[in-house]
Amino acid sequence: MSDWHEAYRRRYKEAKERGVSFFPYAVVKDVFMALLVLCALSYLAIHFGAGLEDVADPTDTTYNPRPEWYFLFMFQALKAFPGNLEPLAAVILPGVVVTLLFFLPFLDRGPKRHPFDRPLITGLGVLGLLMVSYLTYAGAKAPLLNPVVERDPVVESGARLYRDLNCAYCHRIGRKGGGVGPELDRVAPQETEEWLIKHFRDPRSVTPGSTMPQLHLLDDEVKALAAYMKSLGGGEPYSPEAPKLFAANCAVCHKIGKEGGEVGPDLSLIGSARDKAYIRRYVTDPALVNPSSAMPNFKDQLTGTQIEDIARYLSSLGR
Amino acid sequence: MKPVLDWIFERTGIDRVWEALMERHIPEAEGSVSWLYTLGSAAMFVFTVQAVTGALLAMNYVPSPDHAYDSVKFIGDKVILGGFIRGLHHWGASFMVVIVVLHFMRTYFMGAYKYPREGTWMVGIALLGVVIGFGFTGYLLPWDQKAYWATMVGTNIAGQTPFVGPIISKILKGGVDMGAATLTRFYAIHVLILPAIIGILIGAHLFLVVWHGISEPPQRAKPSDGQEKP
Ligand code: HEM
Repeated sequence: MSDWHEAYRRRYKEAKERGVSFFPYAVVKDVFMALLVLCALSYLAIHFGAGLEDVADPTDTTYNPRPEWYFLFMFQALKAFPGNLEPLAAVILPGVVVTLLFFLPFLDRGPKRHPFDRPLITGLGVLGLLMVSYLTYAGAKAPLLNPVVERDPVVESGARLYRDLNCAYCHRIGRKGGGVGPELDRVAPQETEEWLIKHFRDPRSVTPGSTMPQLHLLDDEVKALAAYMKSLGGGEPYSPEAPKLFAANCAVCHKIGKEGGEVGPDLSLIGSARDKAYIRRYVTDPALVNPSSAMPNFKDQLTGTQIEDIARYLSSLGR
Repeated sequence: MKPVLDWIFERTGIDRVWEALMERHIPEAEGSVSWLYTLGSAAMFVFTVQAVTGALLAMNYVPSPDHAYDSVKFIGDKVILGGFIRGLHHWGASFMVVIVVLHFMRTYFMGAYKYPREGTWMVGIALLGVVIGFGFTGYLLPWDQKAYWATMVGTNIAGQTPFVGPIISKILKGGVDMGAATLTRFYAIHVLILPAIIGILIGAHLFLVVWHGISEPPQRAKPSDGQEKP
């Protein structure tokens, strides 16, 4: 074993004696590299800065989670391992790879160091790099899970007020919050905007004997809160594209309101009869839900995101 | 001047340290290959940038769900050079990952992990883990949508570890749900625990690099040069 260790030490010693002083030979290059890095960093910091999105909203189920780019390849790899296999891609595989890498010096032991003299290790390394690059690329290109929805700024500021005033101390939204007051996503959207506004000015004016404190808000704030309340019941939001997608793909056969064909059923009130998941399955492939359906499937014409968007739009009709 | 320097040298031994660190001989590397050897020190440089900008950010940052977002906004809008410093720290995090991975690739493909540098390599892998830990815990701190939901995904992934997953996820989140406890935990890990660990690891890594000497650029094995096993 240590036969070649001796030889290596001797060769290294000779190489060092033939070599150069660390300072300035290496230091100059190190400093130059550091300056280069600093310039690039400053450029990016000035021109792109660091973004800041809306404040975290734990009740928002429609946000598209995106990891930092260097975790993207793992995120993408997870998609290939559905259900019970997920822990395999999430933890076990990365764990094995990291363990192997940690012990690499004991797995690849001989004296050869040149990459061409170690085809297996070099090949595995290149393969790993290609895989990570491909997965990162595919992850960046992958369509978003949820359609991107422009949020109403008034509703947004209402949501902020809700947090700032600590309403969740007594109220629940999406089953998060206190139990003193009513569950808002169930009751509040049923009320008219007028009622809500009166209520926020003085709870007892519309609900005699209410124990909710008076909030003393500005007019804008009252309106924002009311808008936020009204937004709670509306199901999942769809993008402005959804009605256009319907017009382009479905309206030949289906009616909404007065517009559309008569080949298939009128969908103006479909949301009162079917939920989003059903509609999404149906549009994706009608034969799966109803084998005798004459409707074509859309899984090849539309992306998953587009079908989700249409399903949200349709499930909101008639509710 | 000289007597003053001599006095200092005699009391501190700085001249001997300089000799040992800076005037040690290293094997010469040719042209472009020699630049690959700057990646480790570049990683250290970015780490310094992160430490300085991080300390400045910590002066105005508040690790609570009620104030984190607003304090980050405040840093960007009101603090002198705050946006620039945040930008440096933000991009520095990505640079750190890129540079450390490049450095990892250079030592991997050059076989620099072989005898006698096995320890340097293993400390290196630990450093890679710490760098990723910095990225993961730091991402949550602005407490915006991106931060919250990416961390939700991340902690769920950690929660899938067989047997111990639920415990790990609970320890990370400080409970079942993500909230105030999660944020303070991530903050403490990001600014107290990981910096302490990375300090120790970088110290060990550098000591080993100097102790064994930097590896010479690899050459194709020839039967005569002792690279072939007898
Ligand atoms: C915070 C992260 C790291 C820092 C600051 C760092 C710093 C350094 C420095 C300054 C050197 C001197 C030579 C050079 O720059 O190439 C070095 C060498 C080395 N590093 Fe790192 N390193 C880090 C991470 C890693 C990682 C992730 C690995 C691989 C697993 C690694 C493995 C090595 C090895 C094997 C050497 C010896 C190379 C040789 O002798 O040719 N390091 N490191």
